[in-house]
Amino acid sequence: MFQNRAEALALALPAAIFAAAVFLVPVIILLSDGFRDPVGGWTISAYTDFFSNSLNQTVFLRTLRLGAIVTVVSAVIGYAAAFAIVSLEPATKGKITGLVVLPLMISPVARTYAWIVILGRTGIVNQAFQALGITDAPLRILFSETAIFIGLLQLFLPLMIISLISALENMPKDAIPAARVLGANWFQVFWKVVLPLTKEGLVIGGTLVFTGSLTAYITPAILGGSKVLMLETLMYQQVSVSGNFVAASVIAFILIVMSFAANILLKRVATARNKVRSQG
Amino acid sequence: MNSNTLARSLFIPIILFLVIAFLIGPFLIIVAASFSAGDTLAFPPQGFSLRWIAKVFTVESFRASFGMSLFLAIGGTAAALVLGIPASYALSRYKLPGAEVIRTVVSAPIIVPGIIVGLALLRYIVVPFQVGITLALFLAHTALVLPYAVRVVSASLDNLRSDIEEAAVLLGSSRTGAFFRVVMPNIRGGILSAFILGFVTSFNQVPVSLFLSGPGVRTLPVDMIAYMEIVFDPSVAALSALLAFLSIGIVFAAERFLGFSRYV
Repeated sequence: MFQNRAEALALALPAAIFAAAVFLVPVIILLSDGFRDPVGGWTISAYTDFFSNSLNQTVFLRTLRLGAIVTVVSAVIGYAAAFAIVSLEPATKGKITGLVVLPLMISPVARTYAWIVILGRTGIVNQAFQALGITDAPLRILFSETAIFIGLLQLFLPLMIISLISALENMPKDAIPAARVLGANWFQVFWKVVLPLTKEGLVIGGTLVFTGSLTAYITPAILGGSKVLMLETLMYQQVSVSGNFVAASVIAFILIVMSFAANILLKRVATARNKVRSQG
Repeated sequence: MNSNTLARSLFIPIILFLVIAFLIGPFLIIVAASFSAGDTLAFPPQGFSLRWIAKVFTVESFRASFGMSLFLAIGGTAAALVLGIPASYALSRYKLPGAEVIRTVVSAPIIVPGIIVGLALLRYIVVPFQVGITLALFLAHTALVLPYAVRVVSASLDNLRSDIEEAAVLLGSSRTGAFFRVVMPNIRGGILSAFILGFVTSFNQVPVSLFLSGPGVRTLPVDMIAYMEIVFDPSVAALSALLAFLSIGIVFAAERFLGFSRYV
């Protein structure tokens, strides 16, 4: 450790000042906009206005609902996939994990765009449904909540699987056989042994998936169209179509509060785990 | 026990096949669709041709926005490293007053959704100070990459024993000399990894750049979204496939030559 305080500040301050000037100060001013009244006082009327509008309510609830559903479904699939992956031979495990991570390197625009080919009116799903006689006319899957759900799930599932793989690998090897020998069925093994032992991984993955879904822009923009909005696409529309910067500030504040809440939860779980480690 | 083993030996390949088909399949479809000879985006592709892949290179706006994205990804990441390396060094090697505050400030852009950063920059930097859109995009992408730069460089500094540079200083080297001759060569891999991570993050970023676009000034992914809303031909599929192979190639090369995943 070097002690020279002036030298340390000279090294660290440019980055801090840059981040403060370009990012922190403008964002704080933007957020405060939603709490100002025309004569310069403070008010929450922008928030009551925002939530009294039924379109805004729909979009807010849809965003929360999609975030929750994507998180739960990715957890269910994530556990199945992570179990399957950790049971593989080390060489195969590396390759399969690589395939799971691969999509994270591909542009989200490209990944989302693929669903237009699959879910569109003349897409693969509709061709298959009509060929099998399930429907006569093409189903409208694109530009719906279902399409956004599928897109978000594909975007964020790798994050959940990766978090659960490391959680399962850190679990004591004999926990599951021990529970089986003592007479637990598979449901009890999962609920009473695996879940508590992998809780941190689940919370980390869940936070990443949930905040990612809440703050998604590309997926609802491409797969939801201009009708099925989420908070970020609503915010974009408020600015670019209506020029309503106060509503945009309100949405920004809601998004930030929700992401921070999720991140604080993440940090809390992480520190709880460190405490356990340092005691052991 | 036997029926269990059988169930498990069936369950594992089926689950893995379904999950990987879901994650990778759409990308393969995009690649196939980009070789189509037909005029509209479709799968299975109608015939085989390279016309859409060739067309990507002739669309004027794609060429301009690709250049812009490349400039932002390289320039923004380089600027983030110029700011981030000294800051990481100070955070890991010095008793720094307010170290936690500084760490929080430089890593904050990662927690705040990009669309908010873009809008805040537009309203409170671009408009009041008459900053050009290109400069604003550059500032935004630098701020966006800074947290990654600090995180990855800090991690490789923490893995490097600090007594080597203390020894260099004791033997008469200046602090700066010790940094460039002793520390830098040892964290080169970390810096390159930070550069690649920053490049890919910046290049694929959409929300930060949404509001920061002007006549003829756009990043490539924003331009692709705008294009696909108007034209329904396979050229966006072709471009997506090309970009995907580009970023996969970069990351694979990085993993092979640098052991990228150790740092990220």
